[in-house]
Order: sequence, then C-alpha cells, then structure tokens
Amino acid sequence: MTSVYVHGIGMTQFGTFVDRSMKELLLEACIQALEDAGNPKVDAVYVGNFMGGAIYNQEILGAIVANELGLGFIPTAKVEGACASGGIALRQGIMGILSGEYETVLVAGVEKMKHASTSDVTQAINAAMDNDSNEKQAGLTFPGFFGVLANRYFYETGASKKHLAMVALKNREHALNNPLAQFQKPATLDEIMNARIITNPLGLFDCSPMTDGAAALVISKKKSGVHIRSSAQNSGPTQMQDADDLLSIPAIRESGRLAYEKAGVGPEDIDVVEIHDCFSMTEVLAIEELGFFNKREGWKAVEEGRTKSTGDKPVNTSGGLLSRGHPIGATGIAQIYQLVRQLRGTAPNQVDGAKLALAQNLGGTGSYSTVHILERV
Amino acid sequence: MKIFKCNSCDYASVSSKYTCPQCRTGKLEAQEVSPKGTVFSFTDIHIAPAEFADIAPYTIALIQLDEANVKVTARMDNPVQIGDKADLDKIENGAYLYTRI
Ligand SMILES: CC(C)(COP(=O)(O)OP(=O)(O)OC[C@H]1O[C@@H](n2cnc3c(N)ncnc32)[C@H](O)[C@@H]1OP(=O)(O)O)[C@@H](O)C(=O)NCCC(=O)NCCS
Ligand SMILES: [Zn+2]
Repeated sequence: MTSVYVHGIGMTQFGTFVDRSMKELLLEACIQALEDAGNPKVDAVYVGNFMGGAIYNQEILGAIVANELGLGFIPTAKVEGACASGGIALRQGIMGILSGEYETVLVAGVEKMKHASTSDVTQAINAAMDNDSNEKQAGLTFPGFFGVLANRYFYETGASKKHLAMVALKNREHALNNPLAQFQKPATLDEIMNARIITNPLGLFDCSPMTDGAAALVISKKKSGVHIRSSAQNSGPTQMQDADDLLSIPAIRESGRLAYEKAGVGPEDIDVVEIHDCFSMTEVLAIEELGFFNKREGWKAVEEGRTKSTGDKPVNTSGGLLSRGHPIGATGIAQIYQLVRQLRGTAPNQVDGAKLALAQNLGGTGSYSTVHILERV
Repeated sequence: MKIFKCNSCDYASVSSKYTCPQCRTGKLEAQEVSPKGTVFSFTDIHIAPAEFADIAPYTIALIQLDEANVKVTARMDNPVQIGDKADLDKIENGAYLYTRI
C-alpha cells in the first residue's frame, strides 16, 4: 500500500481547441488542481505527454508549468509512455513521494491533436511501434492492431460487431452526462453499427477520437479523503506477431494482478472502473484481463449491461476514451479525475457509495500498462 | 524465408532479437522455413498513416506459418478471411507481402 493521497483535481473541456495553445490547456488544468488542493507548496512536477515535440514542436512542459505558476525552481520532467504517458507520470509522482524526496507533487497530462490532419497524427502515433519491425513497414496502425484482435475474438467466441457497438453506445450514454466530454450527441446502436469502417470490423464509433485537452492532480503524503492504495506498471510485447495469445494483453493482466496484490483487494471488491478503451475491443479485453469477467466472456457481461453505470461493475462512467475523448498524454490523469469525483460522490453517472476505484491506462499495442487503485477514506 | 530460433529452448520469431526473450540465455539462430501459412486474423485498413495513405484501403493479416510456431504480420494483395491459405510474394522495404493461394 502507498502512503499517498489525492488532494486536488483539474480537467479542461475535452474536444477541438485549435485556437488554444498546449500551454494554455495544461495551465488551466494545473490551476484548477492546485486551487482544489488549497494551493499547497509543490515539490516537483511530472507532465505526461506523447507527441508535443513531434506534431506541436513543444517540449520542456514541466519547466513551463513550474515557471508560469510560480512554483519555484523545483525539479520537473515530461514523461512519455505513448497513451500511458499520464498513468506513468502519476506513478513517477507517487514514487517520488514514496522515496521520501517530495511531500507534494503536481502531476498533469496534456495533448494537442486537432490542429494536424488525421494522417499526420496517425503517422505520429505510429512512433509507438517498433520502427525496425516488419509490422510497421507493412502498414499496420494502432486501430488496425485492435481490428486484427477483434476479428480473431469474434472467430473464437460468440461475440460480434454488435457487442463492440454496445460498448461504444454505453460509453456515449455515459458521456452525455459529463459536460467535459468531447462527444455530447446521443447515438443509436444502428448508427454505431452502420458508421463508416476505419479498420474492419471497427467503425468510427469503435475508435477513440483525436482530442485536445489536459488534466491535472495534486498528490501528497499528507492525508486526504482519497487514498492511492496501490500503483503498478508493466511492459508487454511490442509486436503483434510476437504475442503468445493474440487475445491477451499481458501488460494489463500483470499490472492488474500486482495492483490488487499491493492493495490487498481483488477484482470483486472494486466499485467503479476507468479503463483504457482506446477501441471498443480493448475495453472487452481489459475487463477480462483485470479479472472482472472470465477470459473470452467479457462480451457477455457487455450484453447483460453489467458494465453500465447502473450495472454491478460500472466501467468508464466518464464516457471513456471513446466518448470523453483521448488527448493521449492527458488520458491517464483524466481517468483519475473521474474516479476521485466518484469517491467524493460528485461524479457524472455517480455510482452510489463508491469506495474502491480502479484506473487502467494502456500505451502502445500493449507495450505499457499502469493500474492505480484508489479508496475513499 | 528466414525465421530465428533459440538454440536452447523452443522460442522462435520472424524477427531476430538480441537474446532469447523466453529463456534469456539462448541465442537466436537463423533457419530457413517455408513462408506458406494460414490467416490467423486480419483487418482492412481504411485510414492509414501518411506514408501509406496512397494505397489505402489495404489488408493486413497475421499469418501462422505451417512449418514453425511463428506468426508473421504481412500485407495482403487482396482481402482475406481467417483460415485462408497464403504464401509470400516478396519482401519489400522490410514488409512481407503475401498473396492468398
Ligand atoms: C477514427 C479516426 C480515424 C477518425 O478520423 P477521421 O476519419 O479523420 O474523422 P474526422 O476527425 O474528420 O471526424 C469527422 C467527424 O466524425 C466524428 N468523429 C470523429 N472521430 C470519432 C470517433 N472516434 N467516434 C465518434 N465520432 C467521431 C466527429 O463528429 C468528427 O467531427 P469533428 O472533428 O467536428 O468533431 C481517428 O479519430 C483515429 O485515428 N482515431 C484513433 C486515434 C488513435 O489511434 N489513438 C491512439 C489510440 S492507442
Ligand atoms: Zn530460449
């Protein structure tokens, strides 16, 4: 168990903000989190960001935050771990506190994606694949990887495109109650099933969108009402062709197992979950890998509505990456933002009496995964 | 075509590695095998990265080789289904280009 607590949370609206700079988004989220925490003295800053350098020509995000907010000449760093950049930044903050070096840390995440074309951003996202691999040279993409998994999943189980659509619909319905979510327009199962194909069987609604946005947290070893019971991180295969079992993502499974072990709880104890639904298929695999449902049976839980905010294992009550949006470096922090609100009892799609919450953040095609378990104390 | 097999355990991969990721002591050695295989799964990519945008949509398949416990991610010349038989056409710019047989 860690001795780290969450004191403040902040998050910008997620969406298309071509006219707002990365710095502006990042600072807005940080200021909110600092005010929510009562403007404490901050000993270090970690910022999760994936491609600020590649498509926005902006680095030194940590120093920018410390300087603009007058935090002093404290140590700062940007943390990169593809789509898990935010989760890994949080973990680095926790480790800094556990080491005894810091008392209070500001952790943030940010991404700007909407100013560039989809093909240029897709190309930049492909930096999270191994350049020397024949997979990247063949033209595999991130959505493509999960499309290949989905076709195999359908083949080996009773699942079909309808079950993926049900995941997308659930997350869209959750987002309708979240004013900070990117997509606020209702959708129907029909519309989702018949949307244009991105990489079959995945259509538009099965994919997380391009998003601008930022989120931030203040964590400290001083006590608060939200305790970070555990933090775990793992790596996994970086190539699809090297997976032992194509329908398993070992980094998710292992980070979940370690987080449960360190927290002294099991999947059955968790009241509310934010997981990395970069694609609808990913959510189905993750709820299996995290032990909420049996392997190759996650689709049945979806069909039975068990992962809705009203079900027995509510997943992505924020709208998830699919509908809240996926500003890559901010996602891992935005997940914690939603869970802290759940534990404070003030969340959109509030789960009654939520006490234990779990966040899982994935990077690459299973290259990185972090899991954090939070408790209301 | 070449695959890489560990000299001390049963690990094998289409790509060479610095050391065996399974037993972590063996070294991978090149071995010639038939490139023929079966489609394990696939997708048709409609939205491609900038460098492949001109050939989209195209099909990516994960091919299970017949002669070794190795899978290869390949680009197909035509759409495929799981279970289809496939053979290597050529290796171009580091990519395996397969065709359905
Ligand atoms: C799915 C994807 C290909 C769509 O891109 P596109 O074809 O260029 O579509 P556009 O961005 O032009 O969107 C057109 C409209 O469709 C809708 N839309 C876009 N993405 C959507 C999504 N994922 N779900 C639902 N609706 C979506 C929006 O209304 C959008 O209009 P807006 O830009 O005014 O909001 C792209 O968002 C994508 O590649 N997503 C995956 C990103 C990714 O891989 N992230 C890393 C995960 S590991
Ligand atoms: Zn070996």
